[in-house]
Amino acid sequence: MNILSMSGFIPEHICDTVRFTQYSGERNIASYCGYASDFISQVMGDKNIDGAVYPKSCDSSRIIGSYLDTCGKFLHQINVPAGTGPDAVLFFAEEIKRYQTQIEKHYHTAINNIGDRIALLNRRNRKICDLYDNLDTLDYLEYIENIHRNLKRPLCEQDMGDSLRRGHGTGKRVFVTGSFLSGIEIAGIIEDRGLKIVGDNLPESGRLCSLPETKVTGDMYCNISENIMGRRLSPTQDHFNRILEADIEEIKRKEIKGVIMVIQKYCEPYEYLYSIYKDRLETQNIPVLKISLLHSEDVQKTNLQIEAFADII
Amino acid sequence: MAQTIIRIQTKLMKEYYQYFSKYAKGKQQECKVAWITAFAPVEILETLGIACYYPESYAAVIAASGMEQPLLSKSEESDLSRDCCSYSCCMQGCLELEEGPRGVPPKPDLLIATNNQCNTLPNWWNILAHRYKVPLIVIDYPGDGADRDAAYNYVTAQHRDLIMELEKLTGNKLSMDRLAELVANSRNSVNAWKSVISHIKEKEIVPTGLFDDISFLITARCRPETAEMYTMLEEEYSSKPMADRTLIPLFWLGYPLWYHSDRYLSTILEGCRIAGSNYITWWNIDYAGQNLFECLFNAYNYTFLNLSQKTRNERLGELICDSGAKAAVTLRNKSCKCDFVSAKNIYIPQVEIDMDMIDRTILDEKAAMTRIDLIKETICSGWE
Repeated sequence: MNILSMSGFIPEHICDTVRFTQYSGERNIASYCGYASDFISQVMGDKNIDGAVYPKSCDSSRIIGSYLDTCGKFLHQINVPAGTGPDAVLFFAEEIKRYQTQIEKHYHTAINNIGDRIALLNRRNRKICDLYDNLDTLDYLEYIENIHRNLKRPLCEQDMGDSLRRGHGTGKRVFVTGSFLSGIEIAGIIEDRGLKIVGDNLPESGRLCSLPETKVTGDMYCNISENIMGRRLSPTQDHFNRILEADIEEIKRKEIKGVIMVIQKYCEPYEYLYSIYKDRLETQNIPVLKISLLHSEDVQKTNLQIEAFADII
Repeated sequence: MAQTIIRIQTKLMKEYYQYFSKYAKGKQQECKVAWITAFAPVEILETLGIACYYPESYAAVIAASGMEQPLLSKSEESDLSRDCCSYSCCMQGCLELEEGPRGVPPKPDLLIATNNQCNTLPNWWNILAHRYKVPLIVIDYPGDGADRDAAYNYVTAQHRDLIMELEKLTGNKLSMDRLAELVANSRNSVNAWKSVISHIKEKEIVPTGLFDDISFLITARCRPETAEMYTMLEEEYSSKPMADRTLIPLFWLGYPLWYHSDRYLSTILEGCRIAGSNYITWWNIDYAGQNLFECLFNAYNYTFLNLSQKTRNERLGELICDSGAKAAVTLRNKSCKCDFVSAKNIYIPQVEIDMDMIDRTILDEKAAMTRIDLIKETICSGWE
């Protein structure tokens, strides 16, 4: 099976998927997230992909299935709870079970290695955590490229490596937040402009390693659910205050001089978050730059924006 | 009879707007105030004596009064992108400037958002929570994609938590008898409304009145007067003459244009009539169930925009077939991605128009006219 997955809410604990990063798609859905639109294009156009799994967590993701329903491939949407309390955890555990059942049914297979996968994921996430804790000394582009490369591989082949290139640790310290960093070159552009990324709240990095361990005793589905729900929040989970509190704590602790929010155009959760994020941070004299990308490969115009921002901070 | 309908509508509107800043003259509401989304379980709140206000509906009123443009610009200045839902941008501008045709709604003591129409509303409610520093409760409705039992348990747990939180906030104890009464009122309102809209397919009715009158099903569905008023309205509609059969019957697929004096493209639809609309059915929610929690679950988990594409296709197919429409005017609303795909699998010719229900600058009326003329020609070539 070769299932393309979108979002950190898809439980890697159940089976291998290919994490969507970027794709040259048709990109012709007006007023619609370019990242989701490119995901749709890859599912439809990539012959190596035989299925898709995506969350119901924002307006763009919620209607992905409507565009894919005639593609003839395995399609599954996971309901991501808005809350994070015990009832939400239980409901999400049921959703994870439903996901497993659908895969087993479609691919005529039995999944019986979840425990082993949890152990592998815990080890991988601890490794990402170790790297994250040393971002000061690493080349951020190489760090994030390494994560993206691995997320596309089967879990047993993932290797975060021990010898990432050391970065230029002397730049002005910045924090990056936003949706999955599909236009990965932006990380390089930021650090080439004399800025140093020392923290982030990205789904594939800061958020993933905010709760690295999934418990291995008790109900596995609840453990997986607790792990995913317990991570640093996405704005699609509707607790902006908690996101701000966690981010501001890290921003202060790391003496960060500016924040760069990288989002997809028409990504409403981040657009709404930005309006208050900017307000809250600027009252603390921390400037915020919003970079709005048209699609999953777009890095145009970012050079100038980042250069100007570097001057400000 | 018409006077009586108007009298009830005036009473409901007067009660709803009396504490808006233009009329309140500094008078404060004694009960707690909640701002809620259009598919929130209002019966629970009203049972506990909470006054409910609907920012989405007020944004529509603002656009209808022609005030939306400066408010949209103000919203953009306050860092809310114009790409976001125009209901939210319009209200953001209204709150920033404290301006609107009826002023601003009374300040909320709490905010309640649901995701059974879209995921944007809870995001928008987060910025309202930031503005007013009051508690925000988000109720999550998984829709028909999830396992029914799991969804029922999850939603019911949230409804129970909501009751507990609201009892704490108001100091009132929820009366199950009163809740049953309000759910029954809502059910009656929905049934009466269904009878009202059943006449659009064959009677000489323009949709303007329906687009406007549905507002009572949103803001006053659990009031007994609403069903009473709709019953009278149904009688009035049933006595209307039959529609002119020489006009092309069209299905209006999407939102009303709130800024338009007729709420639809009346001026470029010469030779046509609107024989059906899905928007006017969105609040036909089904309060079926063995107990009150099941009634509320069924009503609010299975709202049209919270359904899978397959179920939507089936429902829309039935509606279109029932209307007898020969073509559909399909509106691609910049503000509502969830409605983008409502018309994906319908089997009558469609004219697709980009628009926004609030922001009049999105619609290219000339291009829309050309497309509509084209579809009229197509239909007329095979028309009796």
